[in-house]
Amino acid sequence: GESGYAQNGEFEDAELDDYSFSCYSQLEVDGTQHLLTCAFDDPDINSTNLEFEICGALLNVKCLTFDKLQDMYVIKTKKFLLIGDSEIYVKLGGKNITSKKLNIVEIVKPEAPFDIRVIYRKGANDFLVTFNTSHSQKKYVKELMHEVAYRQEKKENDWMRVNLSSTKLTLLQRKLQPDAMYEIKVRSIPNANYFQGFWSEWSPTFHFRTPEITGRMDP
Amino acid sequence: PEAALHPQIINFNFEVVQVTWNASKYPGTNLTFLYKLSSDETSSQCSNYILQQSHTAGCFLEAKKDEILCFSITNGTHLLLTKCQWISAYLKPSSPKDLNFQWHQEAITVTCSDLPYKRLLYEIQYKSMFDTEWQSKEGETCNITTDGLDAEKCYFFRARVKTMESSYGPDTYPSDWSEVTHQQRGQLRDSCQEKKLFPKFILISGTVA
Amino acid sequence: YNFTDCDFEKIRKKYQEVIYQALEKYMNGTKSTEFNNPIYCENPPDCLTKIERITFYPTHGCTSLAEEIFAIGTNATLTLQCPGYSGMQINNTQAKKKRKKREVTTNKCRERVAYLIGLWRRFSRIS
Repeated sequence: GESGYAQNGEFEDAELDDYSFSCYSQLEVDGTQHLLTCAFDDPDINSTNLEFEICGALLNVKCLTFDKLQDMYVIKTKKFLLIGDSEIYVKLGGKNITSKKLNIVEIVKPEAPFDIRVIYRKGANDFLVTFNTSHSQKKYVKELMHEVAYRQEKKENDWMRVNLSSTKLTLLQRKLQPDAMYEIKVRSIPNANYFQGFWSEWSPTFHFRTPEITGRMDP
Repeated sequence: PEAALHPQIINFNFEVVQVTWNASKYPGTNLTFLYKLSSDETSSQCSNYILQQSHTAGCFLEAKKDEILCFSITNGTHLLLTKCQWISAYLKPSSPKDLNFQWHQEAITVTCSDLPYKRLLYEIQYKSMFDTEWQSKEGETCNITTDGLDAEKCYFFRARVKTMESSYGPDTYPSDWSEVTHQQRGQLRDSCQEKKLFPKFILISGTVA
Repeated sequence: YNFTDCDFEKIRKKYQEVIYQALEKYMNGTKSTEFNNPIYCENPPDCLTKIERITFYPTHGCTSLAEEIFAIGTNATLTLQCPGYSGMQINNTQAKKKRKKREVTTNKCRERVAYLIGLWRRFSRIS
């Protein structure tokens, strides 16, 4: 799904509320600790006594119980084996009321890129865009595809988008409006065929203004 | 003795393996190199020694397969060193040949012939006259597309081959770089004039929302 | 067990993305080339046969590899990708009880894991 969750409900029993839920994982989010986050698809559900538990594809334990943070259920652990499927259970008073099979490595949501900057290179008539990602230091989800989106400010859905695997890009001056204010942001998604998942959140937006005149490139 | 001899192994593209050693601890002695590849029936003595100050200091041996090399070095009476290793652990691939460039709008696809063994990384580096550093792009085959280029600008390109550490280990060598080629407007150029970089360089102050 | 029918491509990916990291972590900076006499394997099934034997069958001087992270990953991978492979039964309490004894990674175990690294690398080069 767009927001970064894998979802389908298994039990179709009409009397029960809709307990369908979605989850995403973030690997090595704190040193070697991974994070798994789940939430009910229905934000209005009364989750007071509901608990989440994960079993299978864990190191040296059979199951782990989630912690509850407002309406999110979270596990921070090193015990993900990262091989094979797990089962996630929703429990009410210790009794399973729904469950779903999922694979931690297929629901990865990368951390958002950061530190996006734009440098105008007058001689080259272009703008050098650079940004950073915490994933270049990681062991597991190292390969990402990034999507840079930029538009003239206040031009509603007029985003131009560029996909790249590196963290450096040049925008040609002749392709932008002169003397205009632009905004630019970037997000990432796993790009290796083992780790898959969802788009990260967008980076903070960076604003820059293009020079007035479009000069010819130095010969 | 192993520390003294400090053997160094280089597997040139699974064609020839070079083993060299530091003979300074055994001045005036012709050390003997005996070896056996896992596919050999028996051991053999080196038939192609490398000489230094007219004494043996290494050996070239043919090794065409991904196999284990066992060798020993003696001074005629004493066994000084014996070692067995996968020759792939010291691989130096040959550098990419017959680079081919195909432009399409603001992207270029660089291809070359893949080497006959797996788990390699083909690396293309490129920069325009206005860039201070090379930019890299890698692929598991020699078919790499780089986009976001400006057809107006002149670009330098070069390529090399590396090994995947999970398949070959940390002791391999990257290939030598291919020759640098120059491209502009989809055409091969003899050269690109080096620019005084960023004669006018303006960092745009931006606000981060 | 005959490993001929395994899905070698999927096993290789799990090795490259997960098991490899666990093996490197176990060796903690010691290079596998510091150990002599690597073990040869001819083809993917032969490599997996030797990997299974070294990983799960204790030997004199190194009895505890089976509950290491790379071994648990290997077990899960073979169980998933080799039809009919029932996997090694390591019950968690047994693993926990042994944990105290495993604190010091013996050099004999490091040597065994160096052989494993050589075999996995070979497997990934040829599959």
